[in-house]
Amino acid sequence: MAVRLLNPGAEVSRRGLALHTTISAAKGLQSVLRSNLGPNGTIKMLVSGAGDIKITKDGKVLLDEMQIQNPTSAMIARAATAQDEICGDGTTSTVLLIGELLKKAEQLLIEGLHPRVIVDGFDLAKTEILRWMEDQKIATKNDREVLVSVARCSLLTKLSEKVALNMAEMLTDAVLCIARPSQPIDLHMVEIMSLMSLSSGPSRLVKGITLDHGCRHPDMPKRVKNAYILTCNISMEHEKSEVTSGFYYSSADQREKMVDAERAVVDGRVRKLIALKKQVCDGTDKNFVIINQKGIDPQSLDLLAKEGIMALRRAKRRNMERVTLACGGLPVNSEEGLTPDVLGFAGIVYEEVHEDEKYTFVENVKDPFSCTVLLRGPNKHTITQMKDAVRDGLRAVKNTIEDGCVLPGAGGFEIAAYRHLRQYAESSVTGKTKLGVVAFAEALQVVPKTLAETSGHDALDSIIKLEEGCAKGDVVGLDLATGEPLDPKASGIYDNYIVKRQMVALAGVISTQLLLVDEILRAGRDASR
Amino acid sequence: MAPSYVPNQGLSGLLKEGTKQVSGLDDAVLRNIDACRQLSALVRSSLGPNGMNKMIVNHLNKLFVTSDAATIVRELEVVHPAAKLIVMASEAQEREVGDGTGFVVAFAGELLDQAENLLRMGLNTAEVVQGYERAGQEALGILQELAVHKVSDIRDIKSVSKALTSCIASKQYGLEGTLAPLIAKACISVMPANANMFSVENIRVAKMLGGSITNSTVVQGAVLLRGSEGTIKRVSDARVAVYTCDFEASQSETKGTVLLKSAEEFTNYTKSEESMLESKIKAISEAGVSVIAAPKFGEVAMHFLEKYKIMAIKCMSKFDLRRVARTTKAIALAKMQTPTTDEIGRGDLVQVEEIGSTKCTVFRQEKEGSRLATILLRASTQNLLDDIDRAIDDAVNVFKGMTKDPRFVAGAGACELELSRRLQKFAETRPGLDQYCISKYAEALEVIPRVLAETSGLDATNMISTLVAAHAAGKATAGLDVEEGAVMDSVEASVFDQLIVKHWGIKLATDAVATILRVDQIIMAKTAGGPKPRDMQAGDANDEAP
Repeated sequence: MAVRLLNPGAEVSRRGLALHTTISAAKGLQSVLRSNLGPNGTIKMLVSGAGDIKITKDGKVLLDEMQIQNPTSAMIARAATAQDEICGDGTTSTVLLIGELLKKAEQLLIEGLHPRVIVDGFDLAKTEILRWMEDQKIATKNDREVLVSVARCSLLTKLSEKVALNMAEMLTDAVLCIARPSQPIDLHMVEIMSLMSLSSGPSRLVKGITLDHGCRHPDMPKRVKNAYILTCNISMEHEKSEVTSGFYYSSADQREKMVDAERAVVDGRVRKLIALKKQVCDGTDKNFVIINQKGIDPQSLDLLAKEGIMALRRAKRRNMERVTLACGGLPVNSEEGLTPDVLGFAGIVYEEVHEDEKYTFVENVKDPFSCTVLLRGPNKHTITQMKDAVRDGLRAVKNTIEDGCVLPGAGGFEIAAYRHLRQYAESSVTGKTKLGVVAFAEALQVVPKTLAETSGHDALDSIIKLEEGCAKGDVVGLDLATGEPLDPKASGIYDNYIVKRQMVALAGVISTQLLLVDEILRAGRDASR
Repeated sequence: MAPSYVPNQGLSGLLKEGTKQVSGLDDAVLRNIDACRQLSALVRSSLGPNGMNKMIVNHLNKLFVTSDAATIVRELEVVHPAAKLIVMASEAQEREVGDGTGFVVAFAGELLDQAENLLRMGLNTAEVVQGYERAGQEALGILQELAVHKVSDIRDIKSVSKALTSCIASKQYGLEGTLAPLIAKACISVMPANANMFSVENIRVAKMLGGSITNSTVVQGAVLLRGSEGTIKRVSDARVAVYTCDFEASQSETKGTVLLKSAEEFTNYTKSEESMLESKIKAISEAGVSVIAAPKFGEVAMHFLEKYKIMAIKCMSKFDLRRVARTTKAIALAKMQTPTTDEIGRGDLVQVEEIGSTKCTVFRQEKEGSRLATILLRASTQNLLDDIDRAIDDAVNVFKGMTKDPRFVAGAGACELELSRRLQKFAETRPGLDQYCISKYAEALEVIPRVLAETSGLDATNMISTLVAAHAAGKATAGLDVEEGAVMDSVEASVFDQLIVKHWGIKLATDAVATILRVDQIIMAKTAGGPKPRDMQAGDANDEAP
């Protein structure tokens, strides 16, 4: 450089070198995640700085936790995690596809093609696939069976088979439970709760609410049936006045009165609640449960316990919302003018104790619009792994319901897309751009190829068989057990439409961006200082 | 020209500086196996009745002398990630059934050892995992058929103590004859009508230094390790009130100030204070209360309590208070008020006893039984007390397990050997590669009798072959007699292990091993700042940078 523009500490890599750096970073990331794709992928163990263990094969979790520093890889990783945020799945596939696209591009670059031409080809290919995809959709009518299959396919890539099968049904039911016609599905209404214990049974779906605390009074009932539920935000403890205040008294008698007066306010509130309980419960076999967002002090608990009321204090805000959704009723903020209309109802409310932690289950509710996925595992890392998977599984079901369609899984979509792109390149693309389109097509094969590899089959062998099957006009996917083609529809292997769409779109955009990088500059510290 | 910016190639170039990673069969899997083997070898020697004790000084410089595997692995603070998974499995076992943690660690270590052989034979990890999982499933199935004993009446001291013997013998060999009946008595006495509601919390252990183990007794009721406050040391047929608030003049939440205008008011004030308190205590006394338990007693209150001959027991811990309430069936009061008849509990005898040099308050409920039982444990050193306490804890958990599943399998290695034999047979029927894995899994089960023989100073190989021969001859309950070094019938010798302990042990060990084998890559972030990590110890010797 004739004139030094940059400060002396800055680093720069130009042209060929920059491209080379980018491509090798993308390939590096691809090779890291490669072994984790699909149901037979291996798992990685991540050890955090504090020594905590995380075991996962979920691409999103891996990318989040790996602390990637290389700029290109970080960019790909960010794109892939964005994919996860949008549609909840397909992170690993996206990374693989980007890596493969750049790998194919590298070959063309070596042969002397200009990056711009390749990019043009990629763009054409991307647009064509997105257009073509619309014809490939398999419309679904939200029947449970299809939803379970979709959830299963998503979960199998993240959990062991046994757990995944059980979980798929659970999550489908959870989403169906909270789905209301013509309203967007709010997955926050599915609470995820975890318990570190196995002997009390496997993970399950609680059609109701699970709260991670119990009642704080030893004499309160631990298990009540047919319970009215009052969700309230009423302070049942003494609250200090805002201003600095004090009492002046000159005899113990006076003080005693003041103590009583102090209590009277709180006691009055509690009595009103008790009066409501008496109004609705007396003479019936019904019970009464109070779930309070604010505190309840020991004396008030005592009063409530004497009436046989189960009272929970300091419930979380989001749970308050869910309790009313699950059990009905209205949350109340004041003890004035309580009527039985504000009460919700649950068939059974009971407390369970695990490892000094109390949990309260509100179950058998009539028409729940909120539910809880209760996860049980032997240790922390298993539970974290399940939690991550549950998130993705819920998203998969939600996507299917919202899309109203699915795509064939097991690599079936990619193979068909490959074939279509090849034909498209032959028929409607001319000139050097064709090479880019073909490269894109070939890159798509990475998904079925890797699936075959992780399952211990000969990748090329399987791909050829798939292509042959595809040429006959069938929809074929890869049977991971045998390495032979199978019909994904018949085996119930589906992928989310939005996941694949995002994958193709994102991979196309990111790879073209990366290919057009011709210089990498890194600001250095000013040496003069 | 400025130097060109090219990051390092490969994974290490992608990640933040200081991150370590290992991957592949040799680096990750085999080294993981090695770490777990070391941990297992460490714990293994303390398995069984003749197991060795370990002396562990933990990071707080607390000394442990124990052969309880759960304690050993917990205090070791294992940092190697794979070995940590084994530790977690043993912790899970402790949580689920409270016993058999040594079994989990030893078995998991042996499974991994066998897995290494399989991997060296050329199998890939996925196949080994599959085979092991299949074998584990089969083993759990077979286990159900191996039940040889059932405690038919869990309220019968004799049959319960017989069942507890093996559990205690594996931790405190020689003491099982003394401890088992004690524990059985304590457990049965607090058993609620619905056996499923039995809670481990209701058995307390009060440790008293001095005397010998044979002096230990069971008290129906609670024992608090401190004397009473006043001069009244003994109340029989007591009526007990429990207060969760401080027992003194009431305080308002808002800050109160006494406003005095003259000397006269001052004297009057103290008087009114006193008379107020006296009237309250008098009312309480008139309600029939003769013992009061509360977290704190005011001095004035003490004076009046003495005056009305009420025993005052200071009880700082909220949980202790709750226990007193539970054993006397009193209802704890949150305010200093006169209790109603329902709220007053009863104690047959409340007295301060001096055991060794420790004063303690004992609530005895001899007449109608109590919901709480305390084992008054005597032993010569604190370490021994702690160790026996852990053994009792395990035994009580075994009892709890019994309330859920009263089935037992033959102990002394008999159950493992029979499982092993049946699994070998099962392996022969399998067509594919997994027969090797199942067969190795079966072999791994032999580790238990082998260790039992080793720790007893017997020739392990010889013993195993004799035992295997006995099992092959159809003696399904042939176990190892650790004293004689001979084959015995475990059922006749009444050495039993609980079925659910084995069930969870096999399940958790298999799961942990499967997880460890499935991991093909470990990525370790740079150790976070903060206090410097403690000295690396055995079990994590091989996590240096690749």
